[in-house]
Amino acid sequence: MADKKEQLPKKPGIFSLLKPYKGLVIMLIAFAVFSNSVNLWLPKIISHGIDDYIHSVITRIHFDLDPTLIKFSSAILFIFIFSYLQSIIQTYTSERVARDLRTRLSDKISRQSNSFIAEVNPSKLLTNLTGDVDSIKLFVSQALVSIISSVFLIIGASVLLLTINWKLALCVIAIIPIIGITFAVVLKKVRVLFKESRAVIDWLNKVINESILGSALIRVINSQQLEFDKFLKANTKARDYGLSILRLFAGLIPVITFTANIATLSILVLGGHFYINHTMTLGDFAAFNSYLVILIFPIIMIGFMSNIIAQATASFERINAVIDAPDSPETGTITEPLRGNIEVKNVNVIYGQKPALKDISFSVKAGSKIAVIGPTAAGKTQLLYLLTNLIKPNYGEILFDGRSIDEYVSESFHSQVGFVFQDSIIFNMSIRENIAFSDTVTDQSLEKAIDTAELREFIDSLPDKLNTVVSERGSSLSGGQKQRIMLARALAVNPKVLLLDDFTARVDGNTEKKILDNVQKNYRGLTLISVTQKIASVEHYDQIILLMEGEIIATGKHDELMHSSTEYVQIFDSQQSTSNYELRSK
Amino acid sequence: MNYDLNKFSEQQEKTSTLGALKRLLALIAHEKKNLWLALIAILINAGVNLMGPLLIGRAIDKYVIPGNYHGVLVISGILLAMYLCGLIASYLQTKMMGGVGQRMLYTLRNAIFNKLQQLPVAFFNQNKAGDLISRVNNDTDKINTFFSQSLMQFVGNLSIMTGAGIFLLCINFKLGAATIAPAAFALIFTKILSPWVKRKNAVNLKSVGGMSAEIQESLNNFKVIIAFNRRDYFRKRFDEANKDNYTTSIKAGIANNIFLPVYTLLAGAAQLIVLAYGIYLVSISIPNTSDSFTIGSLIVYFSYANSFYNPLRQLATLWTSFQTAMAGWDRISQILSLDTNLVTVKEKVVTLSDSLLEFNNVHFAYPGGNEILHNINFKMERGKTYALVGPTGGGKTTTASLIARLYDPTEGTIFLGGRDIRSYEPEERTQKIGFILQEPFLFTGTVKENILYSNEIYKDYSNEELEKALKESNLESLLAIFENGLETKVLSSGDSISLGQKQLIAFMRAVLRNPEILILDEATANIDTITEQLLSDILKKLPETTTRVIIAHRLNTIENADEIYFVNSGEVIRAGSLDDAIDRLLSGKRVS
Repeated sequence: MADKKEQLPKKPGIFSLLKPYKGLVIMLIAFAVFSNSVNLWLPKIISHGIDDYIHSVITRIHFDLDPTLIKFSSAILFIFIFSYLQSIIQTYTSERVARDLRTRLSDKISRQSNSFIAEVNPSKLLTNLTGDVDSIKLFVSQALVSIISSVFLIIGASVLLLTINWKLALCVIAIIPIIGITFAVVLKKVRVLFKESRAVIDWLNKVINESILGSALIRVINSQQLEFDKFLKANTKARDYGLSILRLFAGLIPVITFTANIATLSILVLGGHFYINHTMTLGDFAAFNSYLVILIFPIIMIGFMSNIIAQATASFERINAVIDAPDSPETGTITEPLRGNIEVKNVNVIYGQKPALKDISFSVKAGSKIAVIGPTAAGKTQLLYLLTNLIKPNYGEILFDGRSIDEYVSESFHSQVGFVFQDSIIFNMSIRENIAFSDTVTDQSLEKAIDTAELREFIDSLPDKLNTVVSERGSSLSGGQKQRIMLARALAVNPKVLLLDDFTARVDGNTEKKILDNVQKNYRGLTLISVTQKIASVEHYDQIILLMEGEIIATGKHDELMHSSTEYVQIFDSQQSTSNYELRSK
Repeated sequence: MNYDLNKFSEQQEKTSTLGALKRLLALIAHEKKNLWLALIAILINAGVNLMGPLLIGRAIDKYVIPGNYHGVLVISGILLAMYLCGLIASYLQTKMMGGVGQRMLYTLRNAIFNKLQQLPVAFFNQNKAGDLISRVNNDTDKINTFFSQSLMQFVGNLSIMTGAGIFLLCINFKLGAATIAPAAFALIFTKILSPWVKRKNAVNLKSVGGMSAEIQESLNNFKVIIAFNRRDYFRKRFDEANKDNYTTSIKAGIANNIFLPVYTLLAGAAQLIVLAYGIYLVSISIPNTSDSFTIGSLIVYFSYANSFYNPLRQLATLWTSFQTAMAGWDRISQILSLDTNLVTVKEKVVTLSDSLLEFNNVHFAYPGGNEILHNINFKMERGKTYALVGPTGGGKTTTASLIARLYDPTEGTIFLGGRDIRSYEPEERTQKIGFILQEPFLFTGTVKENILYSNEIYKDYSNEELEKALKESNLESLLAIFENGLETKVLSSGDSISLGQKQLIAFMRAVLRNPEILILDEATANIDTITEQLLSDILKKLPETTTRVIIAHRLNTIENADEIYFVNSGEVIRAGSLDDAIDRLLSGKRVS
C-alpha cells in the first residue's frame, strides 16, 4: 500500500533539481539569450554594411561606414561581457548544485545504519558522490545553457532566414530533421554502449582498487603479472567499447557535415537562381551563408547535449535511490545513564538463508564480567554487533536495564558502550583524534584511557607525542599498537559497558594482563563482555558463554563448564600447555 | 626514495608543457602509419572545407553576378563531388584519430597499472588508497576526454585554421595579415594564461583526490563512526573536503571559461577589420584587373575569416580540456616517474654459510622514521621451526617483512640459500618464501579463487581435484567452516565472512604454494584454539625441508618451535629455551 502511494506522484525529473536555484538559472538563461540574440544580429550588420556600400556605389551617394562599425563593435563587446558573465554564473551554479547535492547525500549517508552502508557498498557510494555528481554538474554547466541557447539560435536563425527568403529558407531548414533523425538513431545505439562500457569501467576500477588494497599480498606472492592480466582483460574490453562508440560517432559527424554542406550547396544553386531573377540581394546571399553556420552548430550541440542529459538523468536516478532510502529513524527517548544489566532474549539473526545466530538468550548483571568463547565463524562478532545496535535481530529482543535497546537515544547509548573492534581501524589523523574519537571525551578521560591501555610509553616515544599523525590503515603502527589505540578509543568515552572483540589476539599475554588489571582498577563497576580465544584469561569471569555455529551450547562459570561441557573441556585442553605459562604470570 | 605523492618537491613538480606533451605523445609513437593516414584524411577534409568557400566565391563573382546560371550548376556539381570526398575523408579522420586516442588511453592505463604493480609496498603505505584510485580513474579520464573527443577536433581545427590563414594571406596579403592579427593576440593571451589555468586545474584535481580519499576512509570504517556516535564527524570531515572541492572547482571553472569569450571577442574584432578594411579595399580597387578586390571576394573573405576564427573559438574550449588533461597527466606522471627501490642486483654476494636464511648486520628504518632494527644477526636452517616472540611493537613484523623482501635493509645483507636476497628474481624469491600477512586480504570472488590465487600448479583444477589436493595437504578439514565450501562467495571489503575465516583462506593459500620458508605473522590470531591445533598439525606435516617462521603472542602456537628468537626494542636475541623465552616475555620491559 505504502509503496503504491509513493509511486503515484511522478518521479521528480532532473530539472526539479534546479528549483532552489531558480534565480541563478533565470539569470543564466537571460545572459545566454542576450548574448545569443546579439550574435544573431552580427551577420545582419555585415550584410547591411555590404548592401549599403553596393547601394552607395550604384547611387554614387557618399558611403559612411562608421555607423556600421560602431554597431558592430558595441555588439561584440556586449557579447564578450555577457558571455563571460554567463560562464561565471554557469560555473557558480553548477558547482553549487554539485556541492549541495553532495551535502544532501552525505547527510543522508551519515544518518544511515551500518548495514545500509554495507549493503549499498561503499564503493558505489563513492561513485554516487563523485562520478554521478559530476555528470549532473556537467548537465548544469553545459547542457542546460547549450540546449536553451541552441533552441533559441535555431528558432532565431530560422525566422531570420524565412524573413530574408522563405523559399530558400525552407530548403535550408529541411536539414534540421535530417540531422535530428541521424542523431536519434546513432545516439540510441551509443547509449546502450555507454551503459555497457560503464559496467566495464566499474570492473576496471574494482581491479585497480583491489590491487591497491591488496598490494602487500600481491608482492608477497609475486602475482603482479596475474593482476596485470586481469587488468588487461578489463582494459581491452574498455578499449573495444571505446572503439565501437567511436565507430558510431565516426559515422555520425561526417553525415552531419555533409548534410550541412548540401545546405550550402542549395544556397548557391537556389540563391544564385534567386539573385539572377533579382529576388535576392548579394548581401542577403552572404547573410544566408552566415546564418547557415549559426544554424548548424546548435543542432549538433543539441545532439551531444541530449546525451549528457541522458547520462545525468541516469546519475540522478542513482543518487535519488540513496537520498530516498528510508531513514533509520531515531526511536529512542531514554537518556538515563546505564547501569549495565543486559538481557538477550530469543535473538535470531539471519543472513540470506543461513541463520547466523539461533535463539540466543542470556543475561548479564551490571558490573560482571562475561566471556564469549567459540570456534571461528560461530557468530561471536555478530553477537557483539547486536549489543551495540550495529545490526538488528530478525527476531527477539535485547534489553539494557530492562528496556529495549531501541528505546535509548543512540547518542547517549553509544557514549556509554565502548566497543573494541576485531579488525584494526585507524584513521589518518593524530593519535589524539584517533583516541578521543567521540566528542564527549575530556582531557582527563583521554589520559585515563591512555594509561589504562598501556600506551603512555609508546606515545611518549613519538616525536610529536599525541599529535603524531598516523597513516591510513595504521600501516605505520604494529598490530598490538593499533589494538591498544582502539581500546583506548573505547575507554575514552568512560563506558558503562565494554565490549571486546578478540582484543587479546594481537597483544602479548603480559601486556594483556596489565591492561585488564588496569581496566578493573580504573573503571570500577564496568560491565565487560569479552569475545576471546584464551580460556586462561577469563577463567575467573562471572560467566562464560560457549557459542558454536550460532547457538549457545553451554554457559556458566569456568568450573561448572569444566564439568558440564565436553566441548569446553576440549577447548580448554587445546590450550592446556600454554595455560601453565600464563598462570606463572599471575 | 620519496613515495608520498603529496610531498613531491617543487623540482619534481615543475615540468614544461611541451616536455610533458612529448612524453605523452611517446605513447603513440608506434601508431605512425595510422597517424599519417589520419593526417592525409585531415588534410583532404580541411582542403574541402577551404575550397568550398573559394569555389562559392568564384561562382558568385564569375557566374551569379553576371547571371550565368549554367556556370553555377557546373560549380555546384564540382562542389558536390568535393563534399562527397570530404564525407569519406572525415569518416576516416574521425575513425583513425579516435582510434589512436582510444589505443593511447589503453596504453596509458596499462602503463600506470603496470607501474603500480612494480612499486613496492612502501609506496602504498605512504599514499591513501582513495587518492590513488582517484588518480588512476579520474585523472586518466580527464586525459581520455581530451584524447577521445578533443584531439581529433584539435588537429582538424588546427589544419583548417592553417589553411584558412594561408588563403587569407594569399588572396590579399595586407587584409589577410590584418585579419589574422587578433589571432596573434589570442596566442599571446593563451601563452600567458595557460600555466595559471593548468595550475587551477591541478589544485582542483588534488582536491578531488582528497575528497575521494576522505569518502573512502570514512565509508569503509563506517561501523566505528556509528559505534562511537560520530555521524557528525563524517559529516564534518566530508563538508570540509566538499567545501574545498567547491572553491577549487569554481576557481578552475572561472579559469577554464576565460578563453572562449576572449577568443570570441577577437573573432569579432577580426570580422570588424574585414568589414572596414575590406570595403575600403573594394572601393579603391580598379574593377576587372588581375588583382581586383570585388564584393564577391569580400564575401569569400568573410567565409575564410569565419573558417579561421570558428575553429579558433573551438580551440578555446579544446585548449581548456587540454590544460585539464595536462594537469591530470602531471599527477599521473608523478606515479610513472617513480621507480621501485627493490631492484634485483647482479653481483651475487655469496656467504659460505649453508643456512637457508641469514641476517648479517642488518639495520632497518622505515622511510623518514627512526631505526626499528639494530644490527640483527641470525641464521635459520632448512626444515626447522622458528618462533619470533616479543612484545608488541618490538620489530617482529618488520623482521618478517625483510625476509619477504617487502623492504630492503638500510644496512647489512640478508642471505637466502647463501645468496644475497636481492640477487634473486622476484619470481624465484617469492616461490621460496611464503608469508601470511597479519591482515589477510581477499579478492572478491569465491573461496576457491582465493585459495588458488596465483597458483600455477592448481589453477586449472576442478573442485573435485582441488579437494583431493587439499586432502593431500591435510587442509580439507578447514573447508568445512565455509558455508558452501569452495564455492562460498567472499567480498574484498566488509564483513561478509569473519576475520578468522579470512585467516584460514590466507593460510590455505600459502600452504598450497608449498614454499621453502613459510612465515606466519600472527596469521592465526583470530582463529580458535581447536582449529589452531589443526593448523599446527598441518604445519607439522609440511615437507621435511620446509622452514617455518612463526610470529605469535599465543604461546601454544610456538611450543613446538625448534628455536625461539626474542624480538624486542629492535633486537633479535636467541632464547635458550621456551622457558627462557617466556621468562623474557613475562619480565621483559615493553618499549613500544
